[in-house]
Amino acid sequence: MANADIKLKIPSAVFYIDPVRAFIGNLAKNLGFSRKRVADIQLVIDEICSNAVHHGSIDTTVGVKLQIRSDAHALEILVRDTGSRHKGPKNWLTHERLSEIEANRSPSNEGGHGIFIAKSLSDTYEMKINAAGGTDVRVVFQLLKPADTKP
Amino acid sequence: MDSTKLMKLREESGIKILEIKTDLSSYAASDLRKVLEDLLAEKVEKIVVNLSQVSHINSTAVGALVGVAKRLRQNGGDLKICALADNLTRTFNLIGASSVVEIYESENSALAAF
Ligand SMILES: Nc1ncnc2c1ncn2[C@@H]1O[C@H](COP(=O)(O)OP(=O)(O)OP(=O)(O)O)[C@@H](O)[C@H]1O
Ligand SMILES: [Mg+2]
Repeated sequence: MANADIKLKIPSAVFYIDPVRAFIGNLAKNLGFSRKRVADIQLVIDEICSNAVHHGSIDTTVGVKLQIRSDAHALEILVRDTGSRHKGPKNWLTHERLSEIEANRSPSNEGGHGIFIAKSLSDTYEMKINAAGGTDVRVVFQLLKPADTKP
Repeated sequence: MDSTKLMKLREESGIKILEIKTDLSSYAASDLRKVLEDLLAEKVEKIVVNLSQVSHINSTAVGALVGVAKRLRQNGGDLKICALADNLTRTFNLIGASSVVEIYESENSALAAF
């Protein structure tokens, strides 16, 4: 199977996250990830895209970009938003803000679980401010764990 | 376009049963919240949410269920959920929400727990 480098751009609206989740789920399944892992990957993508739409897009027209790369060993997904300038400080990704989000997370809170979920269920999780002033989230799921390649 | 048509409401011995027939990502989560808010506004006290036909749930939808369960309890009511697929149970456990919302195997056991 050839290595793939797939690019998608969706409007910044939650309506388009379901189709993206379905596409990535099918891709992950065909790459050989286990059912459990496919569900985890789909959840991580949902959380990252939901954040890009809710927190990283001024309006629905700006769009969210995805770059999906796969090879025999891993599935790597980059989600790029443009930031929502009217929402607080330009760089929300400070060490302080992240520790605050982490420290404030509580099971009985209604929100604040998305980043935690995405971090917990991926093998690599990185966030960076991009040139547009938005956020790049990069996640990697490694394929070659013996437990993962069973159906 | 809305997913509320995929959320069917019934009542059994004074308990509202909400059966969800769509995956709960952010799109449907806001509709779920709306449906639950309407029930709160109608002063409904006991709700069972049947998730047997749901194959995906995200943190926003879990948050909506947690929030409504907490508010109902303040008035002596509750929201209980039932019939979760394995991956849904994993998501509730990961967030820790399974210690906040009561989860039952079946709709009948959830109803019986009121
Ligand atoms: N792409 C993003 N751009 C800007 N801010 C973001 C982005 N992603 C996350 N954040 C910030 O980090 C916070 C935590 O995100 P997280 O996904 O953990 O929780 P949440 O989105 O608030 O709630 P939920 O549990 O529904 O996901 C957000 O409230 C937001 O302030
Ligand atoms: Mg989020």
